[in-house]
Amino acid sequence: MALWLGLGWAVEAAAQAASAEPLVFSIVIKDGRIAPARLEVPAGRKIKLAVKNEGPGPSEFENLSLRVEKVLAPGASSFLVIHPLKPGTYRFIDEFHPTTSEMLLIAK
Amino acid sequence: MLNALIVVFRESLEAMLVIGVLLAWIGRQPEPTALKRGLWLGVAAGIGLALALGFATFAAQSQLAGEALEKFQVGMVLFASGLIVQMVFWMHRHGRHMKQELEAQAGRAVGALGIGAVAALAVAREGAETVIFLYGLGLESGGDRVALLAAGLAGFALAAATGWLVARGARFLSFRALFAASEILLLVIASSLLTAGVDRMIGLDWLPPLLDPVWDSSALLDDGSTAGRLLADFAGYRARPSASLLLAAAAFWSFVAWRLGRTAKAAT
Repeated sequence: MALWLGLGWAVEAAAQAASAEPLVFSIVIKDGRIAPARLEVPAGRKIKLAVKNEGPGPSEFENLSLRVEKVLAPGASSFLVIHPLKPGTYRFIDEFHPTTSEMLLIAK
Repeated sequence: MLNALIVVFRESLEAMLVIGVLLAWIGRQPEPTALKRGLWLGVAAGIGLALALGFATFAAQSQLAGEALEKFQVGMVLFASGLIVQMVFWMHRHGRHMKQELEAQAGRAVGALGIGAVAALAVAREGAETVIFLYGLGLESGGDRVALLAAGLAGFALAAATGWLVARGARFLSFRALFAASEILLLVIASSLLTAGVDRMIGLDWLPPLLDPVWDSSALLDDGSTAGRLLADFAGYRARPSASLLLAAAAFWSFVAWRLGRTAKAAT
């Protein structure tokens, strides 16, 4: 228990230092495609993805390894908070259109 | 097309498993009629709630409305998780005395209500996305809609068949094994609901992930692969879990083990 609290405290302190206001990036889903197809973001910073689905159908914007998933009706917009990332490439898809949609989020 | 089948199968499997387990369990009780009615009423209520949630998602166009809906869904998964755990405790506590408990009308009413509520929440949570997906097929231009709809329905039927197999297969288990298996299965589902809720809260920035990720077992079993994906949905498997998620899971399982251990001791 003490170990958990200690771990929690240490990591929280590090997270506090890293999280200023999150940077916002906009993403548009249309006709089963995600734009931009490639998005570069700074690593180690909290970011916010503002996602808009321009239809015509609904979409499920997701990345499993980051465990984010958002169902959007046509015309709807929403946001996702991504906590500080390690450098690397993270692939997002629209689960309802897995063959046509792809967005690579590159943390540098 | 295969995609439509997989999406619908995956979305409805968990609810079908819950129904299958509850049906198997009910089948072994001395007074199954009232419990069965409770279960199917719960399923019907769950379908109604899934439709309402699906259409609420279409109606929620603004970020604000989307956030309200998201909060409702977080509340729903956490409530469902807690309710399933309560249900297992109830089943466990009465265990051997279930017969007397269910022969009393009050006991039957509590049982039927609990089973109905668990079924309703399981169906509503998974059903909402199925509703959105299937309804969306009708909105999309191009593609063969009829074939897509058929594929979606086939996925649904496959999930229902899986639930039915679980219910049927459970007949070959001894009474004691069935009891243990249904308790474990329901607890695993409850823990996956809890992890889904924690992930959503991290995505809303209500909870810090703390250390993220604590480990990376994606080389061993990637939760993006089909098998890993099923395990992720159904058992809460995460290849790259955050510390918050692990703490929640550890707290869940220690609480459950402690409560079940206490009732076991009280029973002897």
